[in-house]
Amino acid sequence: MSLNPYMPSLATIIETFDETPDIKTFRVVLNDEAAMRAFRFEPGQVAQLSVFGTGESTFVICSPPTRMDYLQFSVMRVGELTHRLHTLREGDPIGLRGPLGNHFDHQGMKGKDIIFVGGGLGLAPLRTLLLYMLDNRADYGAITLIYGGRTPEHLCFKGELAEWAARGDMRVELTVDNPDKLWSHRTGVVPAVLTDLGVSPQNAVAVTCGPPIMIRFTIQALAKLGFTDEQIVTTLERRMKCGVGLCGRCNIGGKFVCVDGPVFTQAQLKELPQEF
Amino acid sequence: MVARFLATENLSAQAAAWARDYRLLAPVREGQAVVYRPWANNMHPFLGRPPTASPKEALLPQTENLLSFTYRKDHEDLTRTEVFLAEPVPSEPTVVLGLRPCDARGRKLLDRVFLERGVVDPLYEKRRKNTLFITVACERMENTCFCHWTGGGPTSEEGSDVLLFAVAGGYAAKALTGAGEKLIAALPEAGPAAQEELAAKLATPAEPGPAPDLRQAPQRFLEAFDDMDFWMDESARCLSCGVCTYLCPTCSCFNITDENSGMKGKRLRTWDTCMSAQYTLEGSGHNPRVSRAHRLRNRVGHKFCYHPREFPAPGGEGAQPEFSCTGCGRCIKSCPVSVDIRRIVLDLLEKGERP
Repeated sequence: MSLNPYMPSLATIIETFDETPDIKTFRVVLNDEAAMRAFRFEPGQVAQLSVFGTGESTFVICSPPTRMDYLQFSVMRVGELTHRLHTLREGDPIGLRGPLGNHFDHQGMKGKDIIFVGGGLGLAPLRTLLLYMLDNRADYGAITLIYGGRTPEHLCFKGELAEWAARGDMRVELTVDNPDKLWSHRTGVVPAVLTDLGVSPQNAVAVTCGPPIMIRFTIQALAKLGFTDEQIVTTLERRMKCGVGLCGRCNIGGKFVCVDGPVFTQAQLKELPQEF
Repeated sequence: MVARFLATENLSAQAAAWARDYRLLAPVREGQAVVYRPWANNMHPFLGRPPTASPKEALLPQTENLLSFTYRKDHEDLTRTEVFLAEPVPSEPTVVLGLRPCDARGRKLLDRVFLERGVVDPLYEKRRKNTLFITVACERMENTCFCHWTGGGPTSEEGSDVLLFAVAGGYAAKALTGAGEKLIAALPEAGPAAQEELAAKLATPAEPGPAPDLRQAPQRFLEAFDDMDFWMDESARCLSCGVCTYLCPTCSCFNITDENSGMKGKRLRTWDTCMSAQYTLEGSGHNPRVSRAHRLRNRVGHKFCYHPREFPAPGGEGAQPEFSCTGCGRCIKSCPVSVDIRRIVLDLLEKGERP
């Protein structure tokens, strides 16, 4: 085990498939079997994936710690590193540093109703917590997922969305901005669905992630429904390099998203200088 | 402890002697600048004025290797490659000659980030343990100097292993640490005249003049945070060139990038600058610090608000905060458009006073 915090563990991609035209899911295992068995993380934590020669970037571990056959990452193709990642296939070597950052307070959420509000790839960090809760279903109250995308094609984890809807122990509400002929769910933006449903803040926690504009209007809609700042949880993204609070760039005021985040309550965000 | 004497004519020979046991970084004149260079024969260390660059290079090199990687084809299945990683080569024991008290204090502030914030950076830690500072006490304050605003002074001993005082014919050398004592053990004891001159200098150090009370600076910064007109004004001339951050003895932000050459390469750490728009530019195109005003605000905020809040001064509320600034004034002296961080801090204080 290296003491060098910049030294990734070697890992291998064991499976990869497309979620949307520009989002791909990677399932990864550490090459060292003992290290893989010993790997512990909490829902919401992130890891740095390396393609040696191209660089390193931060992604949420979107599989739950209750399912440790592999670590799953869903990656949108946007920059140099993610373009390179998208060309990799089963059996290709990568590097992994993690887990990094804080996590969702799933202990504190026990016994409460949970409302997940996601947009696009923002479902990835929610997925890890949702699956964790489904694997410990008795510990939580009613679970609702409100999830939206630009078009049906842009929704992630499509197979699982149908599975979750069919479970009977959670509610799934899907919406898209631009439906196609086959679309049988809602049309419109996510915050509007939230308002439509009239979700109750009573003994509830809302966990939201998506594009910044969606998060902003979701938080406004939740506040209108009576959710307090402590009842609203979100995850932030920032450009990151080191992932361990040293390189400087992901600061918001005196906090570093890579170690003090990525998970924040709205109450915590309000305490920070407003630099989003 | 007896002061030693380093005669000006023996400076090069002594530097060469240190360079036999250590990697020696010595200040030399290059054109208009005074820069640190690894010792080479026939070099002439120049201690006449503060070096243009800070000595942070010794502890946090401008470029350093974090790891090396090698790809190898699998001979059984040529469509497959394997990757092998290697740790970087350890750093060598180093002596830095000719820095100033403000620079030596910068070492403590770098420690805050790399040793005390949370994760210990082992590359920094190794360098920190095997780097010695031979500092030259300042004879006078330049008009860009403000070390006394941030808790330092022209003869401050903090962070140095040896402190040199200019006396007739050379330098009186005062060891401040055990390692420093060993460094100057071979030098002759200072004669009575040099001793006397040193005693006089210690008794009446250069008078830095009055310093403003900066205790309210962290609070004033937060109050002004959302006033973009203020920050647009303060940053109107800024070119985002980043020279302030590169020359700063305490700026420690870095980038990590890969350098690839065929089947092998390195992952490098390089100095970065929060003055650059790329620094926070996200893959999506979103940038939380889109303008120079946002970026300059971050630099001032880090030094005069975020750092003192992260590392509160031991004296509590009323005490002088520890700023992430040693007042060396390089960012003022070398700024091509004369942005003056002192002015910004004073403007913040003044703004806070206004009803």
